[in-house]
Amino acid sequence: MTEASVAGAPGPARSCVYLDHSATSWPKPPEVVDAVVNAMTACGANPGRGAYSMALAAARLVFESRRACADLLGVPDARDLAFVSGCTEACNLMLKGLLVPGDRVVVSSMEHNAVSRPLHVLSLGGVRVDIVQADATGTVHAGDVERAVRAHATRAVICQHASNVTGAIQPIGDIADIAHENGALMLVDGAQAAGHMNVDLAALDVDAYAASGHKGLLGPQGVGLLYLRPGLDVAELLQGGTGGGSSEEESQPQGRPERYEAGTPNTPGIAGLGAGARLWLAHREEWRAQEQRIFRELKEGVGTIPGVTVFGPASDEPCVPTLSLVSDHMDGDRIAFLLDRRYGIAVRSGLHCAPWAHRTIGTLETGAVRLGVGYGSTSDDVEAAIVALTELLA
Amino acid sequence: MTPATSRFIAYGFASVHDALAAESALASAGIAAVVIPSPRVLGELCGIALRVDPASARAAETALEVAGLPPRASAEIDDV
Repeated sequence: MTEASVAGAPGPARSCVYLDHSATSWPKPPEVVDAVVNAMTACGANPGRGAYSMALAAARLVFESRRACADLLGVPDARDLAFVSGCTEACNLMLKGLLVPGDRVVVSSMEHNAVSRPLHVLSLGGVRVDIVQADATGTVHAGDVERAVRAHATRAVICQHASNVTGAIQPIGDIADIAHENGALMLVDGAQAAGHMNVDLAALDVDAYAASGHKGLLGPQGVGLLYLRPGLDVAELLQGGTGGGSSEEESQPQGRPERYEAGTPNTPGIAGLGAGARLWLAHREEWRAQEQRIFRELKEGVGTIPGVTVFGPASDEPCVPTLSLVSDHMDGDRIAFLLDRRYGIAVRSGLHCAPWAHRTIGTLETGAVRLGVGYGSTSDDVEAAIVALTELLA
Repeated sequence: MTPATSRFIAYGFASVHDALAAESALASAGIAAVVIPSPRVLGELCGIALRVDPASARAAETALEVAGLPPRASAEIDDV
């Protein structure tokens, strides 16, 4: 059972078994909390605005955090990584900054609303959106993407790296090759992948990659990342102050990362995210192995409960540590409520902001209960969930 | 008697990120640099610049070139 150990901190008034890592990681590592506090105290000035010592200290926090994130994600030049408010803003930026009326995009049927809703708005303005169906595990097949891309001229292929519903990992490298061979851009929503799996953006050869800062990367909420391939001209969504040179110019600086970071940045969030990235750089093999081991225990355990259907790739196939389930005996909302109130187990029911994905796996009408493990999860947590679900559902 | 005037070289960069990256590159090359408010003579009134001893200028410019961070502007300035 994970203890909420920060005295006086808002949040659960009691200990809980936290299995909602797909929504956000909790608890945050002490190093992340310390980095946030440091950014609000000793380094609380406005980064890049001024050259006095505290402003420089804040600027260096942002600079070092960007470098750590670039190292973790395989980005050769940290300037190609912009800090944004979250993966949703990153997805909006890469889609709305690139697509224009008349463009056609091919997109997977597993996308989150962070992608599907901006695409809906773009479609109203004349962007054609063609959906490639994933299979019942939530896995997108490169051959299906290839057929769709070849059918008509395509400006971009858009696909998540991993599913927030089933944990399926999509073959992004193969899909990126297909996109590029057909003259299309490859845009990726990596919200569920970063941290939980190795992400090497240089090797993946994608054109844009959106990442959440507060999920697998262990940072605080309110921060995310957008990688843009060098030379890719993506229109910024916001204009404003950037602190650095050329303040007298009317137009937004075109250099990176400033072009995409108008306004005072979320320095505490960025500092916390940087701390999370540094932790992953130091522990990634060990922590990922532990996550995967605990997740297998969970998946195999819930898979044996009578009347329960588990959605996602088979236990021996690669996936991020997320699964969804439904029961023949009880609705998902009831399961989630009882797990919380009777057992102190935190999970999320419903559609997980991903109606496309639930339609794909056949749970759009019922929703599902999602369980995800991550930093701090233990075998005891998983065992508690299996015992509770068995009592409720068997 | 006129007091001796010390001078320094100020280097301006495209962004705060580039200026800090340049500071790091110079440190790696063993060249001392001090972050300063961007001097007006560099053509901009906001942001930060790097201050380097003139004796280190040639080495600094070589190191910045190697790091892919050539200064956007530079000027030799009288200290006060």
